[in-house]
Amino acid sequence: MQIDIAYRPAHSLARVGLQAGESVVAESGAMVGMSTNVQMQTQSGGLMKGLKRMFGGESFFRNTFTAQNGPGEVLFAQSLCGDMATLEMTPNGYFIQSSSFIASSPNVNIETKVGGFKTFFAGEGVFVLKATAAGPGQCLVGAFGGIQEMMCDGTLVIDTGHLVAWDATLEYSVGKSASGWIASFLSGEGLVCHFRGQGRIWIQTRNPAEYGSTVGKMLPARKG
Amino acid sequence: MRYEMLDKPDFGMVRVTFDQAGEQMLCESGAMVSRDSAIEMQTNMQGGLLAAAKRKMLGGESLFQNTFTAQAPGQTLWLAPGPEGDVEVLEMNGTMPVFLQSGAWMASAPSVTLDTKWGGAKGFFSGAGLFLLKCEGHGPLFFNCYGGMHAVDVGQAGYICDTSHIVGFTAGLDYRVTKVGGLKSLFFSGEGLVCEFRGQGRLWISTRNAASLATFLHPFRPVERRG
Repeated sequence: MQIDIAYRPAHSLARVGLQAGESVVAESGAMVGMSTNVQMQTQSGGLMKGLKRMFGGESFFRNTFTAQNGPGEVLFAQSLCGDMATLEMTPNGYFIQSSSFIASSPNVNIETKVGGFKTFFAGEGVFVLKATAAGPGQCLVGAFGGIQEMMCDGTLVIDTGHLVAWDATLEYSVGKSASGWIASFLSGEGLVCHFRGQGRIWIQTRNPAEYGSTVGKMLPARKG
Repeated sequence: MRYEMLDKPDFGMVRVTFDQAGEQMLCESGAMVSRDSAIEMQTNMQGGLLAAAKRKMLGGESLFQNTFTAQAPGQTLWLAPGPEGDVEVLEMNGTMPVFLQSGAWMASAPSVTLDTKWGGAKGFFSGAGLFLLKCEGHGPLFFNCYGGMHAVDVGQAGYICDTSHIVGFTAGLDYRVTKVGGLKSLFFSGEGLVCEFRGQGRLWISTRNAASLATFLHPFRPVERRG
């Protein structure tokens, strides 16, 4: 599986080259174009797994694209403007913010982690996926805006709306950004993720919810 | 007439320089950014009311188009599309018509004719919303899309493209609207309908589509109070 990302950073497009018989698993709706010899199959991976994924802010179903009788290609893009990155699988794996996930090698196991009671009501989509693989493999993630790779050495605090992915070596907990709830609410910072340990973190330079509320309130009202 | 493509790929723009008086450019209404003062603008319905209405209804283009005519040599005209994204130019040579998805046409030389081609039942009833503008003739043709513009040279093997990402294609290609995967995929894959292209030619794909942005923004709209 060969991933090339073009049209970076604003309107990035990933071209995934597949050998004969090779597959790539993608988030539903991410496919833009593909060779005619690529077959798509839709799987939910079981009802419970699918439902859990849906609560994770993703779609219930995932698609597997397989090149038949020769090499082929599939083009993927996220729906909002922004950059993409390819994460090479490591023994520890990654945590991926659920809406950032685009595609992965078929040997990568993707599990939905519900971040607890607090994050459920946060409305910031702090549902995370845990990506692990026994061997080499890749994950393709998409951001809203640019992507910055940060190093956490010790502790770091990041707005949940700006998270894309991080090394699973890091411990994380979601909480409020100031000591009191009222101050947290008024600060406009909402929820943050507290990281502890050593590892890399990929952030997106724009926050989709902030963008949505900035532009959304200028639009005519919708029927309730 | 000369032209320069500027600020590609994210915010594409075109600077047209007219070498001689009398040279013209036909533009989508609203595409003009700026012009030298010795350029005259005329607003008209190309091909008459019926052709313009057909273009408006089926092709997604404006009812009116503007014709810019240089009154002196060396005049410049600046053009830009509405959405952010790329602008491409194709130098038409009279042999290869181009089909553009509704809304993709931005400007062309007056020697390029624009006609809304009835996409046939396949485009109309499939729900793909595929209305095509047939561009034919000589001279530059400028078209734009939301997002980046990715060109695919389609050969014997053909190519599949999501219907909402098609910008345009050359006349050597034929397409059919189809679904990918099985029946389960049609409803649950999120991929909806695709176009399968066959033949020889070039296909332009946009790397984003504005409808997805609108879908994302919809829940953020204020909610109308009842009663």
